[in-house]
Amino acid sequence: MKLWIYVVRRLILLVPTIIGLTFLVFALEHVGGTSLFLAQYINPHLTGTARQKLVEELTAKFHLNDPVYIQYFYWLAAIFQGDMGTSTTIGQPVATGFVWFMPNTIMLTIVASFLTWVISIPIGVYSAARRDSILDQSVRIVTFTLYSMPVFLIGFAIFLTLGTTWRLLPDQGNVDPILLPTIPDAWFDHTTAVSYPTHILAIDAFLHGDWTVAWNALLHVILPALALTLALLAGIIRILRASMLEVLEQDYVRLARAKGVPERLVHNFHAKKNALLPTVTSYGYLVSSLFGGAVVIEYIFTFKGIGWWTTVAFLNGDVGVVMGSTFVFGLILVATTLILDVLYAFLDPRIRYE
Amino acid sequence: MSDALAIRDLHVQFHTRRGVYKALNGVDLGLRRGEVLGIAGESGCGKTTMGLAVMSLLPRNASIPRGQVIFDNKDLVNLPREYAERVGDRFKPKEHERILRRVGKAMARIRGRRISMVFQEPMTSLNPVLSIGFQVAETVYVHDPALLARRVLARSKATPQIMREVLTLLGATQGDEAALGRFAADHDLVGLEEQVLFVWRREDVHISRKEKAIRSLAGQSMKPWERNIIETVAKTGSIPPQFARVPVLSKLVRRILVREGSRKARELLTSLGIHHAERVVKMFPHELSGGMRQRVVIAIALANNPEIVIMDEPTSAVDVTVQAQILELVKQIRTSVSASFIVISHDLAVLAEVSDRIAIMYAGRIVEVAPTAEILHHPLHPYTQMLISAIPTLEGKSVEGIKGEVPDMRAPPAGCAFHPRCPFAFEKCNSVVPIDFRQGDDQLVACWLYEGK
Amino acid sequence: MATVTVTERNVRFDELKLSARVFFANKTAVAGLMIFLLFIGDALVIQIAPGVLGVQYPNDVVPPQFTQTNPECVGTAPEPPSIGHLFGTIQYGLSGIGCLDLLQLVMKAIRIDIAISFFIVFVGAAIGTLIGVVSGYAGKWLDEAMMRITDVFFSVPFLILALAVGFVIGRTLLNMALALIIIWWPLYARYGRSLTLTTKEATFIESARASGSGRLKIMFRHILPNVLPPVLVQISLDVGTVILIFSTLAFIGFLPSNALVPELGVIANIGLDLAPLGYWWTVIVPGAVITLFALAVNLMGDGLRDVIDPRRRS
Repeated sequence: MKLWIYVVRRLILLVPTIIGLTFLVFALEHVGGTSLFLAQYINPHLTGTARQKLVEELTAKFHLNDPVYIQYFYWLAAIFQGDMGTSTTIGQPVATGFVWFMPNTIMLTIVASFLTWVISIPIGVYSAARRDSILDQSVRIVTFTLYSMPVFLIGFAIFLTLGTTWRLLPDQGNVDPILLPTIPDAWFDHTTAVSYPTHILAIDAFLHGDWTVAWNALLHVILPALALTLALLAGIIRILRASMLEVLEQDYVRLARAKGVPERLVHNFHAKKNALLPTVTSYGYLVSSLFGGAVVIEYIFTFKGIGWWTTVAFLNGDVGVVMGSTFVFGLILVATTLILDVLYAFLDPRIRYE
Repeated sequence: MSDALAIRDLHVQFHTRRGVYKALNGVDLGLRRGEVLGIAGESGCGKTTMGLAVMSLLPRNASIPRGQVIFDNKDLVNLPREYAERVGDRFKPKEHERILRRVGKAMARIRGRRISMVFQEPMTSLNPVLSIGFQVAETVYVHDPALLARRVLARSKATPQIMREVLTLLGATQGDEAALGRFAADHDLVGLEEQVLFVWRREDVHISRKEKAIRSLAGQSMKPWERNIIETVAKTGSIPPQFARVPVLSKLVRRILVREGSRKARELLTSLGIHHAERVVKMFPHELSGGMRQRVVIAIALANNPEIVIMDEPTSAVDVTVQAQILELVKQIRTSVSASFIVISHDLAVLAEVSDRIAIMYAGRIVEVAPTAEILHHPLHPYTQMLISAIPTLEGKSVEGIKGEVPDMRAPPAGCAFHPRCPFAFEKCNSVVPIDFRQGDDQLVACWLYEGK
Repeated sequence: MATVTVTERNVRFDELKLSARVFFANKTAVAGLMIFLLFIGDALVIQIAPGVLGVQYPNDVVPPQFTQTNPECVGTAPEPPSIGHLFGTIQYGLSGIGCLDLLQLVMKAIRIDIAISFFIVFVGAAIGTLIGVVSGYAGKWLDEAMMRITDVFFSVPFLILALAVGFVIGRTLLNMALALIIIWWPLYARYGRSLTLTTKEATFIESARASGSGRLKIMFRHILPNVLPPVLVQISLDVGTVILIFSTLAFIGFLPSNALVPELGVIANIGLDLAPLGYWWTVIVPGAVITLFALAVNLMGDGLRDVIDPRRRS
C-alpha cells in the first residue's frame, strides 16, 4: 500500500477522536451546570443589571435552556468560528491568546525535540554497543536519575544554577527587560508584549534586522529548551538502548557479522535502523509528557508560551483559557501523533507494503 | 592433502544463571577439501554451537576452555581459549566481550569471504529494513570492492566494436571461460567476463536477446572524477583515504559500488534459481517466501566464492516441497562451486541426499564419522544404529524411537555420554570417555565395543 | 484447581528460589528495595505513632496554634541545612511564618504522597483493567467504542487534562487524586485489553469454551489470572511514575494557598517563591526526595523485570 493511502486512512481515524475530544471539553465545561461556561464570557468585575443582561444574551445565543445536545451544537459552532470566550488574564479573546503564544511553545518543543534526538541517538547506540563499559554504566546512571526526577526539579535546577546563581544565561521571560523600550512599535506591541508577524520574538527581530534583540531573545530560549531536553533525553536514551540491545540479539545482526561487516557498521547501520523504529513509536507516547513538561518549564522560566499562559490562567481562575487549552493541546497532540505515525510508516518498509 | 578445516578437542561452555552448560566436550573433526560433510544429531547436541564456534559467532557468555579450530594453519579460537584458560572459574562475560571484539576484528576478513555460514531461520536472517539487493551487494562491497569497481570500469571502457568481438569469441569457443578471461585481460577489461558469461549461460532467454543484452553491456557512462576514484578502488581494493572522509564524495562512490553490487546480486540470485531477480533485488525480506529467503541467504554466503560454507539446518524451517528444492539447489551448487561444505541437520535423510561423509554428534562429541553409504548401511555406533532405525521409510518397517532423553548438559554423564541410553553399555562405558577407533577404510567410531577390533 | 503433584510443587518452589536469587543478585534493585522500605516505614510510623519521629500534626503544614506559640517565627527567613535542622527550615510565604523544620515536613509529606500514589494507581488500575478485560473479551462494537474513548483521553497531555479536571471539580487533595485516576484508567484499560486479546487467542480458552463454561466464568477464572501478573508489575512501576505527575501538579499550584497539606510538591511550591532569593533547599530538597522515591521504585522494577523476563532470568 502506498504511503499516501496510509496517511489518508490515519486521517480518517482521527475524526472520531477529535469529535470525542470536543465531547470531553464540552462535558468538562458543563458538568457543574452552566456557571463555568458562562464565566468564560463574563468579565468577573461585571455586576448587577449589566451582568444580568449579558447572562440573558448568552443564554439565548447558546441555547442554554435547551437540552444538552442542542447546547453542544451551538457551542461547537462557536468554537469553529474561533470563539472560545475571553481570557481575563490578558483581556483578549481566548483565540487571540492562542495565536499570540502558540508559536513560542511550538518553537520550544521543536528545538527541544531536535536536541533530544540529536544527542540521544549516538549515545543510545554507543551505550548499547559498548554494553557494561564505563561509558554505558555512567549513561545508565545519569539517565536513570534524570528519568526519576520530576520535571519541575530538572527545570528548577537549571533555572537556579545556570540562571539565577551563576548568571550564565537568561532565565526569565523572552527578552531582557532593558531592551524592551528599544524595540520599535512597527512590529512590536508594547502593551501586550507581542511581536509580529510570527509572534516569536527571536525570529521577528531577525526578520526586521534588529540583531541585538534577536540574539538576546535567542539566548532566552536556551535554558528552557535545555531543561526540556534533559527531561526528554532520559526516556529516549533508555528506550533506544533497550531497543538496540534487543536488536543486537537478532539473527539478522548475526548474519551481518557472518558476512564480515565491520562491527562499527553492524551497530551504526544494520542495528540502529531497526532499533529506531520502536523508539519512534515510544516517542509517540512521550509526546504527552513533552507538552506537559513544556507547561511546567514555561512557567518556571516565565517563557511566554501557551504552557505558561495556561498555568497562570489556572491559578487565576480564567476558565476560558484552561478549557481552550485542553482542546488546543488535544489537537496539537493528535496532529503530532499523526506526523509520527506517518514518519514511522515511511521508515518501516513492512508497513507500507501491508 | 591437508584438511580445509580441522577442529581439535574443542570444548565450549555456556555460563548462565542456571549453571554452566557444557555444550561441546571434545569435538574432533576434519573437513576435507571439496567434500560435503554432514553433521547429524538430535537438537541440543551442539551441532549449531560447533558451527558458530568456527565462525567465532558465539555469544559472550560462551567460553572455550580447550581446543583449536585450525584454518589455513591458524587457530581461530586461540584468543578466547587463552582467556578461558587464564581465568578458569572466574569467567566474566563482560571481560570476555572485549576479547571477542578483538577476535571479531581478526575474523572480519574471513567471515563472508573465506568461511561463510547460512543460518537456520531464513525468516529472521535477513534485515527487515534493508532491500534484498543491498544485503547481497553488501557482502561483495565489504570484501571485494575492487571487483565491483572493475566491473563498472569494464563496462564504461567497452565499445560496441569490442562487444562484437566478444560475441564472435563466445560463438567460436562455446562460451569458454578461460578464453574470455584472456580476451578481457588483453583488452584491459577485466571484470567484463563474468557479466558476459552470466548472460550467456542463462537458459531461460533466447539467443537473440542474449546477444542484445551482451551488446548493451558496453557504454556505461561515468563522469571523469568518478572514473578516477573507481580506478583507484579497482587497483587498491578500497576507497582512497583522502576521499573516504569527504562525506558527499565517498557516499557517491559508495552508491556506485553498491549499485554495481546489486547487479552482481541479480546475477547471483538468478543462478540460484530465483526468477525475475531484477524485481526481487528491489524488494524487502517480508515480501519473499521462506524458500526464496533461503536462496537469498545462500547467495550471500556464496557471493565471494568462499573456501568453506557452513549450512545450519538449511531445510528445517521450510515445508517439504521447498525442502526438496533447497536440496536440489545444494547439489547443484556443489557441482558449480569449488568450496567445501558443512551441512548441519537433525534429519539424516536430508544429509544422506547431499553429503559425502556424515558425522554423528551426541552430547557435544562426535561419536561416528564415515562416508554416507557406510554410515547408512553399516552403522557402528549404537546411537547411529538407533538413529537410522528411527527414520520412517516407505518399506514400512517398524519405527523405533530411542529410549531416554538428551542429558542435562550441566552435568553430562561420566565416561561415554550415551551410556545411560545404550543397550550395549558395559563397565568401561560409564567411567572412561571412548576414543576413536578406525574401522574399515574410512570409518571412525568412538565406542568401546570396537576396542581391539 | 487440579491438584498439584509433589514434583510440580517442587518445581514451582525451585523457580521461586531462582526468582529470589535473580532479584537479589541485582544490587541496585536491592538498594531500591531498601530505600522503598524506608519510605514505607516512615509512612507507617507517622500513621501509627508520629511522636516517635517527633512529629505532632501529621496532616498540617503549619501546626495549629504555631503562630501564637512561636511569635518570633513570623517573618523569619528560611535557614539552610544545619545540625539542628537537617534539611533546613522553610517559610510559608515571603513574610509569613518561618522556622518550619523541613525534615519534619518531608517526613509528614512522604506518608501522604505514598498514600496518594497507591490510591491513584490501585483504583485506576482496578477500574481500567476491568474495563479493558471486558472490552477485550466482548469485542466488536463495545471494544471499538472503548478504544475510541481511551483515544480521546490519550489525546490531551496528562498535565493539561489534570488541570482542567481539577479546575472543574475543585482544587483539593482528594480531587487531585481523582483527576489523576481519571487520567490513569485508560492506560490500564488499553493494557488489560491487549493482554486479554493475547490470552483470548490461547488454545486453552477454546477448550474451556468447548467444555461449556459460561463467558463470565471464563473471564474470571482463565483470563484474569493471566492478565493480573503483568498488570501487577505495571502497577509496581507506576507507583513511582505517578508521584512525578501529581507532585508536579502540586508544584505549579494545584492546591490553593489556603488549603495546604504536607505533600512534597506542595512544599516545593512553597519554596518556589523563596528559592530565587537564594533559599534553594526549599525546592531542591522535596524534589530530591521525590526523585529518591521514584528512583527506588524504578530500580525495583528493573529487578522485577530481571525476574520475569525469561531471557534476563538466565
